[in-house]
Amino acid sequence: MTLYQSVILGSALSASATIVVFLVLVFRRYLAEKSRAHRDKRDTAITRNYLQRVAGHRVEDFDKWSRGSRRAAISRILPLLRGGERTRLMQIAELDGVLKETLRISHSLKKKTRINAIQSLQRFGSEVCIGRLREMMARDRSQRVRLEAAFALAANRSLPPPRETLNLLRALHRLPTRLDIALLRSAAPIYPDQMVLLLEDDLPPSWRILIIDALGWTDNMGVLDVLRTFADDTNSEIRCAVLRALAKLGHPSAQAWVMSGLSDPNASVRLQAIAAIVGLGIKGAVPELVRLRDDEKLWVRLRAEQALEHFNPDNTEKRTVGTTG
Amino acid sequence: MTWTSVLNFTATSILWIAFACFIVVALRNIIALAQLLVAAWVFMTRVRPSAGARDLWDRYADLSPPISVIAPAYNEELSIVQSVKALLALEYPEHEIIVVNDGSKDDTLGELLRGFDMYETKRTQIALLQKTRILATYRSRRYPNLLVVDKENGRKADAANAGIGFARTPLVCVIDADSIIEPDGLLRAAEPFMYDDDSLVAVGGAIRIANGCTVRGGSLQKVGIAEEMVPRFQIVEYLRAFLMNRVANAHRNTLMLISGAFGLFRRSTLVEMGGYRHDTVGEDLELVVRMHRFMRDNNRKYRIAFVPDIVCWTEAPAALRGLDNQRARWQQGALETLQRHRRMIGNPRYGRIGLIAMPQIVLEDVLGPPAELVGYLVLPAAAILGLLDPMMAIAFFFVSVVFGCALSVGTLVLEEQQLRRTPTAKDLLRVGVAAVIENFGYRQINLWYRLTGFRRYFRKENSWAAVPRVGFTTA
Repeated sequence: MTLYQSVILGSALSASATIVVFLVLVFRRYLAEKSRAHRDKRDTAITRNYLQRVAGHRVEDFDKWSRGSRRAAISRILPLLRGGERTRLMQIAELDGVLKETLRISHSLKKKTRINAIQSLQRFGSEVCIGRLREMMARDRSQRVRLEAAFALAANRSLPPPRETLNLLRALHRLPTRLDIALLRSAAPIYPDQMVLLLEDDLPPSWRILIIDALGWTDNMGVLDVLRTFADDTNSEIRCAVLRALAKLGHPSAQAWVMSGLSDPNASVRLQAIAAIVGLGIKGAVPELVRLRDDEKLWVRLRAEQALEHFNPDNTEKRTVGTTG
Repeated sequence: MTWTSVLNFTATSILWIAFACFIVVALRNIIALAQLLVAAWVFMTRVRPSAGARDLWDRYADLSPPISVIAPAYNEELSIVQSVKALLALEYPEHEIIVVNDGSKDDTLGELLRGFDMYETKRTQIALLQKTRILATYRSRRYPNLLVVDKENGRKADAANAGIGFARTPLVCVIDADSIIEPDGLLRAAEPFMYDDDSLVAVGGAIRIANGCTVRGGSLQKVGIAEEMVPRFQIVEYLRAFLMNRVANAHRNTLMLISGAFGLFRRSTLVEMGGYRHDTVGEDLELVVRMHRFMRDNNRKYRIAFVPDIVCWTEAPAALRGLDNQRARWQQGALETLQRHRRMIGNPRYGRIGLIAMPQIVLEDVLGPPAELVGYLVLPAAAILGLLDPMMAIAFFFVSVVFGCALSVGTLVLEEQQLRRTPTAKDLLRVGVAAVIENFGYRQINLWYRLTGFRRYFRKENSWAAVPRVGFTTA
């Protein structure tokens, strides 16, 4: 066979193969469309059955549906239930063994499959699921899978203490991302004391900043004293994090600190102080904000202007040129 | 020189041209096949953003970087209010809409002022990137996150630059005023910034043809497929471009184009670079190529990402009239960009951009179109004249047309397996038929349009004709 004949044959075969695969997919879609009504009817029946079981009623013929269909139905019902009903549904789901498949695929060799399993485990959030998520966060060979397991645990408010979380995710050896901030904030209300203790460690500055920021999410006014120790830190990013935390805590005693931030030599801190003043609604800061309209830094001037508009929207220059449509 | 030697020389030249055309077309398709395989691998192994991550993002909304959506508008009085309402309704914790009225001759500005109860305000422009004069800025009493900038006419690049200059957020999303953004399009496009360590400078997203879809209030209500064949061919083209080419290129950090219909950028980088260039008709390609150059010249660590999910829908020309001008303009823009950044081509200083991505653009946009079109004429003629093996001419047909079918249908397979945004099996089949028959006529017409782009480039034409729109089906 010549080169050209090979090219012709190769092109023809590849085109034929892709067209056949495409036609199979079209046929699969067609079958899915045809069976949609039947599927909807089945899903409604499964949902009804589970709701009846949760309410304590007797149901029959429950085993005729596949575990996959039942798992899908439970995933749909779960967000609609609260408290005892939700707990009962999860217990029934575990007794029915519908999570077996999810737990099995959470051991898959494929990272993507394991992460899909994490998403299911997160949705169910039962004890078994949380246990498996903790195991994955601690021992999975992929760092990404560990991170996803951490998100799932955070969503279920079941993250391990912050020191363990950071160690398991090998976080301190890399630069933090916004999602790391979210994880720490999520851990903060559960472990306020551990967060404070963590600050005693020799942490990279970028992570110390995040932990100080997370203290604002502890809902614990006891951390104010700790924040006070960092208020005059030489690192301006730490001073910014203190202001963010103070704004989130919203304690009246924070007002004086926040106000002092408006005179900070660093522009980022002044910007953060303006944001905190807006967040805390400190109207007494208006004269200071007026002063900052002449700040040497453009961004400070702009944010001060915006803050003033926030406190007194009618005071801004405006001229009506349109009417409500 | 004898007549025989002239004939011999002509025959040899024809043979060389035929071989060159064959090699160029074969090389293009080999690259396309490699891209399809890389894209398939990316799709098969990609981890979709998890519910856990999104839940955390929802809970701590302040972590999502605020975005300014910049919508340049020119003579859009019929649709601007609906379009802006759809933009205001986008799901995102903190976003500002900056509509730049680029000296519209109709009542675009009046519609905006009346529709959103706007008043004139003095908004400070942080960076002066536009060439034309700003006439006024307006804010809405009802929507604090809406700003309208009225300026003299200066084309889209100038209008986008004006908007970027007024933006105060870390990220800016530059769109076309008639782009229909998916309700969670901003969220999805901004998602890579959540995992970012400050190296990400831009994100592109997949765009799909809105012709045949039902649109109400500037939002997509129902996905549909156009009745006309030209938009259907373009669906296949867009899928090939976005799901195959850009996914594969982004995977190697060699993404060279973020469509003007939707692009998310780090504002500070755009301002440092001076925004879009005004003197090219392909400002979107030029911007990304220049971004690579700028970052590498300054030895900065950077990344340009691509979100393979569909984030935006756009209306395509419904007939060949309109398509001709659009394709010629794209071609001209590519040539202008290559000419301007020719020092990057094959230059190891620019790493994989200089050694892989730029030569690939040369192959795709400079050598490819003429080689394929000339090949259609020269190879059969040479075979008939007995100058080359007829099997070579048949092989050329199979490489360009039959293999082209395989690539197009392969992309549809990818779309159906991974995204499944074609509404029904019937529609899928219709697009599949279009993927096959576009190789018999439409593809060749397109090559011709691209050659007219060469002519426009050499004549240094800078006229810009709007693509005729027929509008959407309204529910």
